[in-house]
Amino acid sequence: MAEPIWITGLGLVTPLGVGVAPTWQALLAGASGIRPIGRFDASGFAVRIGAEVPLGDATDAVAPRLRKFAGRQHGFATHAAAEALRDAGVAPTDTTAPRWGCALGCGQVTLDYDELVATAAAAAPQGELQPARLAAPCDPIAFARQQSIAPLALLATQFGLRGPLRAVHTACASGGQAIGSGLKMLRRGEVDFVLAGGTDAMLTPIGLAGFCLLGALSADNDDPARASRPFDRTRNGFVLGEGAGMMVLERADTARARGAPPYAELAGEGNALSSYRITDPHPDGRGPIQAMRRALADAGESPAAVDYINAHGTSTPMNDRSECAAIHALFGAAVDRLLVSSTKGQIGHLIAAAGAVEAAFCALALRDAVAPPNANLHHPDPACALPFVGAAPQRRALRVALSNSFGFGGANSSLVLRAAGAVA
Amino acid sequence: MPIARTDVDAVFPRVAALIADALARNPDEVRLDSRLIEDLGAESIDFLDIVFQLEQAFGVRIPRGQILEEARGPLSYEEFQQDGVITAAGLARLRAVLDEVPAARIATGLRVDDVAWLFTVETFCKVVLRAQAAEPGSG
Repeated sequence: MAEPIWITGLGLVTPLGVGVAPTWQALLAGASGIRPIGRFDASGFAVRIGAEVPLGDATDAVAPRLRKFAGRQHGFATHAAAEALRDAGVAPTDTTAPRWGCALGCGQVTLDYDELVATAAAAAPQGELQPARLAAPCDPIAFARQQSIAPLALLATQFGLRGPLRAVHTACASGGQAIGSGLKMLRRGEVDFVLAGGTDAMLTPIGLAGFCLLGALSADNDDPARASRPFDRTRNGFVLGEGAGMMVLERADTARARGAPPYAELAGEGNALSSYRITDPHPDGRGPIQAMRRALADAGESPAAVDYINAHGTSTPMNDRSECAAIHALFGAAVDRLLVSSTKGQIGHLIAAAGAVEAAFCALALRDAVAPPNANLHHPDPACALPFVGAAPQRRALRVALSNSFGFGGANSSLVLRAAGAVA
Repeated sequence: MPIARTDVDAVFPRVAALIADALARNPDEVRLDSRLIEDLGAESIDFLDIVFQLEQAFGVRIPRGQILEEARGPLSYEEFQQDGVITAAGLARLRAVLDEVPAARIATGLRVDDVAWLFTVETFCKVVLRAQAAEPGSG
């Protein structure tokens, strides 16, 4: 039987805190990371709340020589990667670097807002865009920063990773699929270690405007902590968040040989496209059903073996209904033994980082035998009937957890995690 | 053409601060004769960054590749180099333009691609001064 793949290091940067311990404690304590937006003036927007990471300058973890190449999302990834490597107690050396892979989900890597303002001033000095002025006098480093490979290139350079690198851009499924990609690299024997996860920082005037245009966000500006309420019948949209989650993956034999304890086993991954509409989930949940089924089959588990689902649960009317339909369709009578929660009620939606942060929550849930709460689920939607965790975390021995991430555009990712040492 | 030492000294503090920032160096590491690549660890993209920053800081326009163009002067490209190696006439021009660089470093066999290895902080001070001279009133 193939050697299990273990998660031996975690790193988190979330609206609940910088670091795994502060985030996990705040999550279990029911704290909210959602507040009025403070990093820019959102007063002209219909939505003025968000889930901001409590870091003024997110690039402080980036090596000084590389810092000019780093924007906020690059900074989050670097923070989380540094923590994950420290936590795992292993880092690439000259000898091992070619056997270190990296897979990162990242979002809309674009000009930072300040850069856009500077570009507009330089290229349209009289209000009319002069395309030639986009070449000069504009900032070459801003161009380097906005390449979709940039966050990954910084991680590779700073931490000295020289194996295969994968950048995953599948919107909200990115983080989950990047971790799945890391799992495959290890199973194929391409590498001995993988640094995998996701990062995003869309909480900018541009990102906020985009999701306002799509009508996807909750405008409950007066009650930020309650604005994200997945599966509640009064839910009215998601709350835009930011952050990063990274993990170190390695084979169990490698970890045992160096005395590294696992958080959990990364047991399986499944992906499927909905191929339905660009922003709507399929009402029957057909893409998610297939993603979950494949992930469970990959892990050698049946639906009846699953103890906890960290749902995608965005708090939009359509996602939550479609996801619940998918869970019912796949689990049938086995839904009754599940515990289900969406941690987006407290951290909002971290977009390309969501799947990675939530997979880390699943690993912590398995290690600590506790399912995180549903912070704002007071009036369950009859169309979303599942055995939800309440407002307090639920302590119970958990063997198998499933983490769902479904993206804009129809990419669906499910990951299966298993308590380390448990048999399939 | 010759640039006065006092003019170089006048722009040096701002040029040095900007180079220190671009290369994440301690300001006191950046001396007038520091070589960008060998002493300060510049990479190719850093030269583009530094030139852009100089343009912003001094309000001047610096065409990319300007140092080589200055050095080539009236020589045709073929007179300046052959198969990428700088000719004797080219070396003489280069020694005159890069007079801050010890002449011995501008030696037979120097390749066009390697000219950037010669650049010092003073080279960029002079780039700014020449750009200012070309655009009177800027500063």
